Amino acid sequence: MMSDIKQCRAEARAIRTAIILLALAAFAPAVNADEGQSLALRAAIIHTGDGDVIRDGVILIRDGRIDAVGDISVPEDVETVDLGDAAVTPGLVDANALVEPERLVPQRRAAEIAAEAEAEGRTNFLHTMFADEHEPENCAACMGTSFCALAAGHDELAEGEICPVCGFGEDIWSHFGSGVRSNLVLSETSSEVVPHTHVIDSLNLRSPDFERLLRGGVTTVFASPDNSVVIGPQGLITRTGGPVRDRVLEPADAVTAVISSDSFRGAVRNRPPYRFLVDAQSRRPNTRMGLAWVFRKAFYDTIRYEKNQPVYGADTPPELAFPVLSRILEGDVPLRMHARQQNDIKAAIRLADEFNLSFTLLEATEAYRCIDQLLEARVPVIFGPIYMDPSGPRARTPETRHARLSTLRDLLDAGVETALSAQDLREEDGLARQMMYAVRTGVSPEDAVQAATGTPARLLGIDDRVGVLRDGRHADLVVWSQAPYEAGAVPVVVMLNGRIVIDRRMDS
Amino acid sequence: MIAVLNDLFGCHKECRSVYFPVTQETGCMKVLLAGLAAFLAGSIAVESAAAPPDKLALTGGRIITVTGDDIEEGTVLIKHGRIVEVGADVDLPYDAMEIDTTGMVLMPGMIDPQSPRGLDRPNENVPVVPFLNVYDAIDPSRLFFENSLRDGITSVHVMQGNNTVVSALSRVVRPIGLSVDEMTVEPEVGLKLAVTPRSGADRISQMFELREAFAKLEHELNRLAEEKYEESLEEDENIDVGPGEARQQGRELLRDSDFSDKQRNLVRLLRGDLSAWFYAGRATDVGPAVEFSRHLGILDSSILVLGNEAHRAVTELEDAQRPVVLDPSLYHRSRDPMTGEIEEVFVPRIIHDAGLEFALQPNPSASMAERYLNYQAAICVREGLPREVAFKAITYYPAKMLGLEDDLGAIEPGKRANIVVFSGDPLDFDSWVEQVFIDGVLAYERDRDHRLQKLLRLEREGHEVIDPGPDPDEGDTKTDRESGEQASDAGADA
Repeated sequence: MMSDIKQCRAEARAIRTAIILLALAAFAPAVNADEGQSLALRAAIIHTGDGDVIRDGVILIRDGRIDAVGDISVPEDVETVDLGDAAVTPGLVDANALVEPERLVPQRRAAEIAAEAEAEGRTNFLHTMFADEHEPENCAACMGTSFCALAAGHDELAEGEICPVCGFGEDIWSHFGSGVRSNLVLSETSSEVVPHTHVIDSLNLRSPDFERLLRGGVTTVFASPDNSVVIGPQGLITRTGGPVRDRVLEPADAVTAVISSDSFRGAVRNRPPYRFLVDAQSRRPNTRMGLAWVFRKAFYDTIRYEKNQPVYGADTPPELAFPVLSRILEGDVPLRMHARQQNDIKAAIRLADEFNLSFTLLEATEAYRCIDQLLEARVPVIFGPIYMDPSGPRARTPETRHARLSTLRDLLDAGVETALSAQDLREEDGLARQMMYAVRTGVSPEDAVQAATGTPARLLGIDDRVGVLRDGRHADLVVWSQAPYEAGAVPVVVMLNGRIVIDRRMDS
Repeated sequence: MIAVLNDLFGCHKECRSVYFPVTQETGCMKVLLAGLAAFLAGSIAVESAAAPPDKLALTGGRIITVTGDDIEEGTVLIKHGRIVEVGADVDLPYDAMEIDTTGMVLMPGMIDPQSPRGLDRPNENVPVVPFLNVYDAIDPSRLFFENSLRDGITSVHVMQGNNTVVSALSRVVRPIGLSVDEMTVEPEVGLKLAVTPRSGADRISQMFELREAFAKLEHELNRLAEEKYEESLEEDENIDVGPGEARQQGRELLRDSDFSDKQRNLVRLLRGDLSAWFYAGRATDVGPAVEFSRHLGILDSSILVLGNEAHRAVTELEDAQRPVVLDPSLYHRSRDPMTGEIEEVFVPRIIHDAGLEFALQPNPSASMAERYLNYQAAICVREGLPREVAFKAITYYPAKMLGLEDDLGAIEPGKRANIVVFSGDPLDFDSWVEQVFIDGVLAYERDRDHRLQKLLRLEREGHEVIDPGPDPDEGDTKTDRESGEQASDAGADA
């Protein structure tokens, strides 16, 4: 039976694409449904994002918002566009996106980058360290701006071995060859505790990375900081497209704490995966116990500060951090904890318990090993990405060694509220493809879609606005050429507030 | 045991998950070794040493033949490791062992068109090494081979990397076997000639070294020819021809045994016995590669291995009409140097529109999907390329490039029985490789792939559950990759 369905699916594919393109052609670019306008979309499959799938349903859009969804009759004055076999989902929501703040450097020669760096007068630590041996042409460590002494020897690295200087393997160029994969927002590193800083200040809302996300069907992201400090800045929740004035949903949202060691060069240090240039020798803390100490001290200092008692010592947070930390203690500012290994996950639960904090767990590579603890502590998880082999920053930490393909399935089966995130990955590994991986590894299609739409929106507290196709929500939706978790699916049309922002009908 | 055999051989009943039992009669050493090798390499293959029956029939599945039409509910009859008959109505010999593949999809084993990943090091630090052979550096125990098998790749063209000028002699191997000899499908395929500068070199010195290699050869061959001509003369005979004529006559007298190791493979390359795999990493390298190939007179036996940006030289490629191996990243994204805008190009579309045959490569640096050749083909179909072309680009076209189109790349009578059994359409990403047959031997079964089972945390009947699941109090089970550094981490777990 199953194979029959698949067979039919394969046969119908070519015809289906043609039909969709025809159907969509009727839905001219001028037809939008923002301010004062209405539009009805009829589609074969509508994933509402909260686990429901409506077959042959209609989405009625008025004034940029969803008016009604389901088997409804369309008022006579509203134009109906039949999307045929296409599938419609809410715009995908990535609750832990690492967005490239400024620019992307796809396909650029290291020499060009080096010249640019030189022109801008940028230098760094490794530059001076390995000045004599440097071959900027070959260096992926610094992309030509600095000096990886061993870059010339990268071809000599064995399979799976990483360069002790730059942390890349034999195929260094693949990381930079066609689109940068390591897109991270910088954290402020002047202190280990910087919850008073805001990612929005370092983020260019016109960064081309948003366009990449949007083309991949991701319409809303929580832009996370990178993992370089223990208690990091406040991220923001933003749309990835549309007029900039409408984009930002929450300018300052949750604070991310990092309870994992992004071990680099074999050292246990709470250092960022690739910001090795900042502070190769000087960062504190250097161990997991030091990390826990910094976290504890920040909150104990806050309690002292609230009581007007003196705070002092090496890792004392900056004074401006205390009001934000107080609000975290009161539960006004959400807390997220980034942890990969099971011991770190358990440490996060313990630390949160100490201050009676509730939090959301990020990445959680080994979450399958502590499902009971997660259930008991009622910790929701923003899991992901799913991978066969870690790439980018994850390739450089030993914390991904016990990754399992089935973790999302296991978490969902156990009843842990879990959202899926692609973090820094885009295109073939992006959030839409993460749904495909989830389906491959045993998650039901409905759950996979929900984990990339409704669940992350709920965890971000924005499901009253986006992430589900229900009455009153913004009409942020994606029309896919076929079911979105299939290999052949392409986001053909992306709508924000009922307005078309990506239109690939003309591409084919 | 014999009774079991008779049972299996005699009746055509469903025996999907059957693996071949050991027999006394056919306890062929080679196969035992193959089984053992795969076992050592990661215990993913058949547990019992597989003694293949002489005749094997895969029945009931949908067959993607690649070169012909798809066959619904077809049968592939295999005899002594070769396909003898394919079709919807095949009369099964009474002694054929039948494997029911109903509901499955069969396609030819996929081909990795060129990869240095089976080698201990991708490149030699001497730039011109046509006298070397990858035979000496292939490590059968590499995880790469195990993964290739798992992903449905049945032939790997092991060739040195791009950081060279003239590479070692390449060969085609199967991802099973304990020794290189056992793995070998075709021992002598070609040499890689890199036009794109290797690390530390610039274009001028790269081209100089490339030209120099052949200029030296020419010089030495002339000297050899002169000697040969002189040898051919009677003792009292005078040299009565000019040097040019003498060389020409001498050349005709040269035999393979006259060449030194350093010359032999280059001579065979120039004769067209070996194929030339020109690496052009950038568009600017395509013109010189084609030109140099023409200059050597080996354009007809040349293949172009392209970098991600090289499609921009599509005019030159079209002009050369030679098959190309595409970069694993199928989209080329570039930033306009003036406006800063990012442009995206789908490379196979351009190559296909230029009328060229191309081979796709798996992307080893991708985190998941692009690591699979069948997904690379699915991307092509998604972008509007014909399904048939997408399948050929992972099977038949690379087979042609390797000169092995009579052996590999399609499900056709006469070809090697390299067949991948998918649980569904290979272009759907929720399809898994269920079984892989290489030369008629069941080389892989997903049900017995312990590593994959562990990653998927699946429990199968009759198999020990390897992953203990959540086990908070035990320390991590150490694998060999992990060192003492992890041990200190475990201490943090209270």
